Amino acid sequence: MDAKEGKRWTNLARLFMREKKPVVGATPADVVHSENKWRLLRYRGSPTARTPVVLVPSLINRHYVLDLMPGKSFAEHMVREGFDVYCIDWGTPSDEDRYLTFDEIVDGYLGRALRVASRTAGTTNAHVLGYCMGGLMTAIHAATHPERFASLTAVAAPMRFTDDGLLSRWSRTETFDVRAMTTAYGNVPWQLMQGAFQLLRPTLQVAKAVGLVHRAWDDEFLDGFLALETWGNDAVAFPGEAYRRYIEELYRGDHLLDDTFTLSGKPARLGAITCPTLAITFEHDNIVPWASAKVLVDRVGSTDTEWLHLQGGHVGAMVSRAASKSLWPKIAQFWRERDEVARAPARRRSRSHA
Amino acid sequence: MFTFDQWKKSFDVWEDATAKYLEQWLRSPLVLAPSGSMLTAMMKWKAATDKAKTLWWSEMGLPTKRDQERTLHLLNQLQSRILDLEEKLEQSRADAAQSKTTGPRA
Repeated sequence: MDAKEGKRWTNLARLFMREKKPVVGATPADVVHSENKWRLLRYRGSPTARTPVVLVPSLINRHYVLDLMPGKSFAEHMVREGFDVYCIDWGTPSDEDRYLTFDEIVDGYLGRALRVASRTAGTTNAHVLGYCMGGLMTAIHAATHPERFASLTAVAAPMRFTDDGLLSRWSRTETFDVRAMTTAYGNVPWQLMQGAFQLLRPTLQVAKAVGLVHRAWDDEFLDGFLALETWGNDAVAFPGEAYRRYIEELYRGDHLLDDTFTLSGKPARLGAITCPTLAITFEHDNIVPWASAKVLVDRVGSTDTEWLHLQGGHVGAMVSRAASKSLWPKIAQFWRERDEVARAPARRRSRSHA
Repeated sequence: MFTFDQWKKSFDVWEDATAKYLEQWLRSPLVLAPSGSMLTAMMKWKAATDKAKTLWWSEMGLPTKRDQERTLHLLNQLQSRILDLEEKLEQSRADAAQSKTTGPRA
């Protein structure tokens, strides 16, 4: 048995005796606003960039996927790059949040977060990055309040829901009654959604276990694996009323793309988005097929759009060590260039890196 | 010597083929439709039993869980309205201070 093999089995044996949980979401931050269950965090740093950055994670996952662990944290990286970084922590919905509407979250809460961040930073708008469902929510908000956006970055954010993926097919199954689910449970339990995500790759659990044994000799991999598992098993329920509209109007109706979706009564048309827009998609994303996320840059009214298509999956490609060396610097550059553009006359540009 | 790394290569081939097969099978309407019916029936059953329990409870004049949830949600909405007003007030103050320093516009 060579040294690597020896380390593999020793590490695995130690893994089950570990008492300390991995450190997640550790970048120092202050709470600058709180309302209902959500909070707006501002990461501590010495910003040099003019415009603040607001991170909008998915409603059903914890925000710390963008601040996974020291050295593998997107937020920490951007703070080091000189940005004034804010992040929404959606918190855990309680039973009464079954009545929380999509409009209250996407128009009310998200709008407040952007206003608080801009006011705190002394600007009138912000660079906004939405990840997964957070990207969809920011795009809808940008379509109704374009003045709040210095730029929009949508990472693996679903826009078109009529793809052939399992989630789309399941949501459009006629025998699946969304209202029966929200009446019975109020908020949709995270275990149900987790189950559906796991069915996207039915062999995922066994593949993960084998992958763990395969790379158990690598201490850095083990730390990352445990942090990601902690995050993956720390999901939250979906507020019932918001879920009903999400499924009925977006998944089933695809109303965002047929320009009939509304936010608080106002039309939310992607064509109304005029700020610089960056769509990031991942080749092996089985949660949000890349084509359904890429459509954002085809539909926005902005003359300054970029599409970045990378290898990797829905989560790994955004939080891995490789992402910190390739993807994160590109996002920082996109924001930095637009900070300069904000001061200089706008020019038309459209790029894609596939 | 047959190591774990060698075994992993054959596992990857099996895993990929099995996942593709299962994904195809799960996407079939023959699987999705009955799964939807079963889930919906379970949800309807839960909703009906909850409703029966609630009726019995409210017969005694006691507030139900739904009553409490509605009240708490209204309180949350009230908090948001107050915050909206605070923002407007703050904006008016800032506008007033601005016009004081720059003077009234002609």
